[in-house]
Formats: sequence, C-alpha cells, structure tokens
Amino acid sequence: MLTFQNVSRFYNDWPALENINFKVQRGEFLVVSGPSGAGKTTLFRHIWMGDLPSIGTVEVAGYRSDRIRKDDLPLLRRKLGIVFQDFRLLPERTVFDNVALPLQVAGTSPKAIRRRVFSLLAEMELNHRRSSYPHELSGGEQQRVAIARAMVAHPVILLADEPTGNLDPEVSRRVIDLLIEINRSGTAVILATHDPRQVPAGTARFLYLERGHLVNPGIWDGYRQL
Amino acid sequence: MIHLIKNAINEGLLNIRRKLGSFLITLLMVSLSFMVFDIFLIISWNLGTALKNEQENVGIEVFLRDNITEVEAVNLADIISGMEGVRSVYYVSPEEAEAVFRADLPEQADLLTLLGPQFHLPASIQISLQPDYRTSDKVGGLARTVSGMDGVEDIVYGKEYLPGLTRAVDILAKLVILAGLVLAVSLSLVVANTVRLAVTRRALAVQIMSIVGAPGWFVRVPFLGEGLLTGVAGAAGSLLLTVAVSWMLSSSVPHEFLPVKWVMLVLILGASSGAAGSWIGMKSGIPKPRS
Repeated sequence: MLTFQNVSRFYNDWPALENINFKVQRGEFLVVSGPSGAGKTTLFRHIWMGDLPSIGTVEVAGYRSDRIRKDDLPLLRRKLGIVFQDFRLLPERTVFDNVALPLQVAGTSPKAIRRRVFSLLAEMELNHRRSSYPHELSGGEQQRVAIARAMVAHPVILLADEPTGNLDPEVSRRVIDLLIEINRSGTAVILATHDPRQVPAGTARFLYLERGHLVNPGIWDGYRQL
Repeated sequence: MIHLIKNAINEGLLNIRRKLGSFLITLLMVSLSFMVFDIFLIISWNLGTALKNEQENVGIEVFLRDNITEVEAVNLADIISGMEGVRSVYYVSPEEAEAVFRADLPEQADLLTLLGPQFHLPASIQISLQPDYRTSDKVGGLARTVSGMDGVEDIVYGKEYLPGLTRAVDILAKLVILAGLVLAVSLSLVVANTVRLAVTRRALAVQIMSIVGAPGWFVRVPFLGEGLLTGVAGAAGSLLLTVAVSWMLSSSVPHEFLPVKWVMLVLILGASSGAAGSWIGMKSGIPKPRS
C-alpha cells in the first residue's frame, strides 16, 4: 500500500532524506521516530506528495511519485488522513464544520456529511462540542477533532505527525490509545514521534531516522538503545 | 459534482460574510473609482452626441456654372448620386436658391432687387454623405473629384472646421478607450490586492483544503467569485451613485444619461477587472501546502 524505494531528497545538495527503503502493509501500525530535524516531517510530506523525491520513487495507494499528475494529487490525498502537532483546525469554523471539510471538498451530499460527522463525533465523544469553536476546546479535544477530521473520509492510511507534541502526558496517552483503536479497526497508521515509548510494545513496527537515514531498519524495536 | 460546485460557492459566500466589513470598504473604493469613470463617460457621451450631430450636417454644396441647363444639371446630379459615399443629392435651381435666400435672410432681400432681374443666384447640387464619409479626408477627396467635373463652378464643404471636428471625435473616442484601460488596470490592482490579502488571511484554510484533497479549482473559485462580485457590484454601485448625481444636476446642466449599451460595458469592465484582479491576487498569494 505504501512503498519507499531508494528515496533521496536533496535541498541545495543537502540530503534531507537519503536512500530510504521501506513498505507499509494494509492495516499496519508504523512508528517513525528520531530526533528533531531527522527528516520525519519530510518523509511524511513525501507520503502525501506535498514534496517529491530527487531520486527514487514513493508509491502510495496506487499513485507513484514519478508518474503522478497534478490533477491526481487531490484524489491521493482523499485516501489519506493527516494529523499535525499544531492541530491545524480552522479557527472560524465550528467542530462540525472542521470535521466535515474533507467530505465537503470531495463533493459529498450534505445529508451524508451530517450522518457521517455526527456518528464520528459520537464515537470520539465530541458530540456535545460540535457547535464549539477550536479556541473553546482543550488541547486534547482539539487533537481529537483533528483526528476526527483525518478519519471522516475513511482514509486507508492515517498520518500523525507528532500528534502529542503539544499535549500533557495523560492526554497524550489517550491520543495514542485512540490511534491504536483506529488501527485495530483496519486503518494503517503511521505515527511520527520523538518518543516511541508512548506506543506499547508489540502494537507497532518501528523505524528510526537520523539525519535523513534509516538506522538499523528491521532491528530496532523502539525500546532498546540504538 | 453538483455538491462540490455548491460547496465551492458556499465557501465563497461564507468568506464574504466573515469579512463583510472589509468587503464593503473594497466595494466602496471600487464604486467611487468607477463613478469617476462613469461621469467621464457621461461627459464624453454628451460631447460625442453633439459632435456627431455636427457631423450629420457635413455635406458638399456644388455650385454650377451660369451657362448650364437644368437637364445638364440634373444629369450631373445623377452621376454624383452614383458615386461612392454619397447618400443623396438634391438639385437647387436658381429660383429655389433665391426663395431660400429671401426666406433665410429677409433683411437682405432688397439686395436682390437692387441687382436687377438679370442677376440670379447660381444653381447648386447639395450632396448628403454616408455616415462614414463625413471625415475631412473622405469629404476632401470626394470634393476634389466633383470639382473636376464639367459644369462645376465652385465647391463648399466646410474645409475649415471639418478637420477639427473629425479630430475632436477621434480624440474623444481614443480618450474613452484610454480611460477605460487605465481604470481597468488600476481596479484590477485594487481587487488583486484585496484578494491577495484575503488569500493571506486564509492561508491556513487554503493549505488545509489542499491537504484534505480539495481540487485546485475548489480552492480558487471562492477567490475568483469574490473578485468578480467586487468588480460587478462595484460597477453597479457606481452606476447607481452616478444616476443620483446625474438626476441632481439635470436641471442645471441638461444632459443625457448613458445608453444601455454603455451601462453594460461598464458592468463588463467591472467583471473583467474583478476577474483579472483575483487571478493576479491568487497567482501571487496562494501558498503551497506545507507540513
């Protein structure tokens, strides 16, 4: 479902990613870890093709980076759900409207949007907050809304880029639990985090990035010292 | 697709509603700029109408030799009526010329009596011209051809004022086009700046829309709609303001308001300036999605 094949990305000769190879299968949970500036975010940008490799190819849900047309980008992105560290909720929209956005831009009927958003908000225990604006929510609630927005269009892969970076430990744990639950329901989850110990052992596969390189792929389990 | 288009339009309307204040200020700016143009158009239209009326009267008067017979004069008139640019010809006999003289200048009628029965005014042929032949070049050319014909004594066609009149009509038409262009460019820049500000203000929304899979046109349509609406509504607002000013001045300065065709032209100019402005604003304003 997701393949990185010999992917390198250079910015003015500086290698942000170098010779990256890995695959993600349907329904898998992958944790990408590494220090700040290691290339986690650049790697994510290559998954939703906000950036393209200098060398090598990325294949996501049937779309290849070396063949994708501009018109295909929206179609690819509708198959992905993306969660950011800073939530990126639209401040002038209510919780309902924020969550409904991916369906609105895909041309879903208003009736179907209402049905799906109400059911998802109920699942995520946010129904009572549907008319609130982002600034009226706690950090944890905002991140749950962001996850709901990412999940509303039934993505095949959920990308979560440091989703707990701005949250306290207790709320972080609940967000990670939510991601694990989403993964159990069949959605592949790729989580970028600088602290892989947040994810319980045995629930995920781990990759460690350092200065744009994958370190000991297939060996590191997220807990042992490198 | 229908829902997608509806959502894009709703998105545009929502944006306008969210920043109604700044939208209304832009609208007022565009309306006032257009109002200056509308007033200029009214002045041009009325001046142009007056000049056109003058041009309507442009014709050639061909005075015939004394020895020409009436049959020869009528034959000459027939030949002239077949020439390019001639709309109609009218033969004025010496008797009719005298009657016209007496009617137009009754205080000088005694002059004819003093000159005696041997004197008579010359016969003439009055040539009326096709509208596009009422310029100094074309009238001059036609006059030269006619003056070389047998039986023609002299030709009068307003040699002195016609070049000035033709030039004035030309300059006025060019001024209207130039003013329209200048206004279109300046309004496009006003709208471009407004749209660029709107894009900057909505950078997060634009990025998020792109990341969640909105097609490019879905992101652009609301801005384009906003620019179009600003242009058309601004032009329409200016016309309403100009109607009010025109009505207030109508008793002291008699004039005509713009014809429907020109009103439509102002609205089209508004729409195109708005669309061009949004395009420029989007081109320089819409950010690339980042993570």
